[in-house]
Amino acid sequence: MLIIESLSKNLGEFALTGVSLSVADGEYFIVLGPTGAGKTILLETIAGIYTPDAGRILLNDRDITDVPAKDRNIGMVYQDYMLFPHLTVEANIGFGLKSRRADSAFIQKKVQESAELLNISHLLHRYPGTLSGGEQQRAAIARALVMEPDALLLDEPLSALDVRTRENLRAELARIHKATGTTIIHITHNFEEVFDLADRVAIMRGGDVVQVGTPEEIFRRPNSDFVAGFVGMENLFSGTGAPDGTVTVGDVHIRVDESVTGAVSVAIRPEEILISKAPLPKNGKNVFCGRIESARPNGGLVRVLVDAGIPFRVTLTRQGFEEVGIAPGDTVYLAFGPSAAHAYPSGAPEEA
Amino acid sequence: MSRGSISRFQVVTVAVALLIAVFIVMVLIGVVTHSPLPVLIESLLSEEIRFAIRLSIITSVISTLLCILIAVPVAYALARYTFPGKTVVNMLMDIPMALPPLVAGVGLLLFFGVSPIGKSLAAAGLTFVFTPLGIIMAQFFVNLPYMLRVTRSTFQGVNPRYEHVAKTLGCTDAQAFWRVTLPMSFNGLLAGSVITWSKGIGEFGAALMLAGATRMKTETLPLSLFLNMSTGKLEYAISAATILIVISIISLYVFERYSGTAHVY
Repeated sequence: MLIIESLSKNLGEFALTGVSLSVADGEYFIVLGPTGAGKTILLETIAGIYTPDAGRILLNDRDITDVPAKDRNIGMVYQDYMLFPHLTVEANIGFGLKSRRADSAFIQKKVQESAELLNISHLLHRYPGTLSGGEQQRAAIARALVMEPDALLLDEPLSALDVRTRENLRAELARIHKATGTTIIHITHNFEEVFDLADRVAIMRGGDVVQVGTPEEIFRRPNSDFVAGFVGMENLFSGTGAPDGTVTVGDVHIRVDESVTGAVSVAIRPEEILISKAPLPKNGKNVFCGRIESARPNGGLVRVLVDAGIPFRVTLTRQGFEEVGIAPGDTVYLAFGPSAAHAYPSGAPEEA
Repeated sequence: MSRGSISRFQVVTVAVALLIAVFIVMVLIGVVTHSPLPVLIESLLSEEIRFAIRLSIITSVISTLLCILIAVPVAYALARYTFPGKTVVNMLMDIPMALPPLVAGVGLLLFFGVSPIGKSLAAAGLTFVFTPLGIIMAQFFVNLPYMLRVTRSTFQGVNPRYEHVAKTLGCTDAQAFWRVTLPMSFNGLLAGSVITWSKGIGEFGAALMLAGATRMKTETLPLSLFLNMSTGKLEYAISAATILIVISIISLYVFERYSGTAHVY
């Protein structure tokens, strides 16, 4: 169990301001946030590279706030691998065990096991400079795992890799986590990694944690405009909530998942809105009529902008778009259930 | 490059570059070919020149080792840590490099000759004035900034995250430096040492002031060149100059070869 209590650290350029988190044993915990949110300092402070200005860190009931990095038994893997270039992969992986003055037969056995776990046994004699990015990252993970750390910290481990290698390694991380049961804290700005890997997610912004929850909670029920915008809630409206479970945005009344009164924000994912040329039955749903402003292809998807008094963004697959047979200027009907419209009290106005 | 697009500007700049290159080569060749080969070899084997070679090598190797010994910790502190007065220290370290060596030499002479510290060192048996020890001190003082600059930029070129990872893998600060940063800086340190050594072997002004120019006592190669030139023994002067030219060219090559790869990490 890793507990972080109101941790603060100011490094000038980046800062943490009173971060509190707790990560359970064996949990895969992802910290998500934009660049500059203080994610890397958070990991480095947990690892013991920096001493916090305030707050405490507890690992398995032991206060490690002032314990030097070398005695914490926390592993760290950076985005750009940081394999020691003057050592072979084997010596890199065995580096930490050598610090512990383990005997060489033991080191060799452990290195071999760790390399097998990461499928890099055939690369042990090579130097890091001759490996691909994916291979280097596997070696870096093996180097951290061979220490059997109480927690493994991954700083954007997939960001420097090409799409295909990234997907492979993402699957590998899930497998390794399952096989070893290591507690993992993984930071990223890419929320695609969240669904495949995370048990729980924390969203960071400006040195602070703004929401913690399961991926499902974060993606369906964000607690602020920032989180909503960050997780791709492209339809974000501010309006006034009534006790009957509706929110009035301009002239439009939207039935939402739970009633919140007063100034509220409503967030709707663009892929949860159904679009049709024929009128749609209500059946307790929100149904609006509007005019297509634009339809913009984007990879395998088409993004449609519909003016129904307020602008709705709808995402369709290319096939779905062709089946509906719509074009800009057409009049269409939009439908989405109340459960797809998440309302929360709007705080101080902030840009998404 | 497309043909027919050679401008006059291009012709002029390239011509100046080629002319100056030819000029440099002619100056060097003029020295090396001045004496006929048998005379050159005979002077090289003379007792005086052999003494100068030996003294030059001994003093320059020792002063280079001293430079490394001091530059490594200082450069590391300047590259990695913040401490009060760091900017001032950084600036002070560069002063000996900007100073004319003769001025540095006067300063060293006064420090070791008349200051209480210099006098007590002399009383303890460490005499720097007019001794080979003075040559080492002069070379050390003038060349430390060069070693320091190369070493500092080499350490700065090593991402501190390597040390961070080493610490999570059980290293103290010192072990992380010893097992990671230092080996990763090997090429840079080698390049810096070679250029420092080469400058040390050619050091004249400061050494002349502090150690004097006594034949067969404090006579390094540049001092030998100076002494023999002023007493008209041209062939001895030429042989000393030839050795200095060869050393300069070799060390420049080594420096270029290794300093380029100093920042690959």
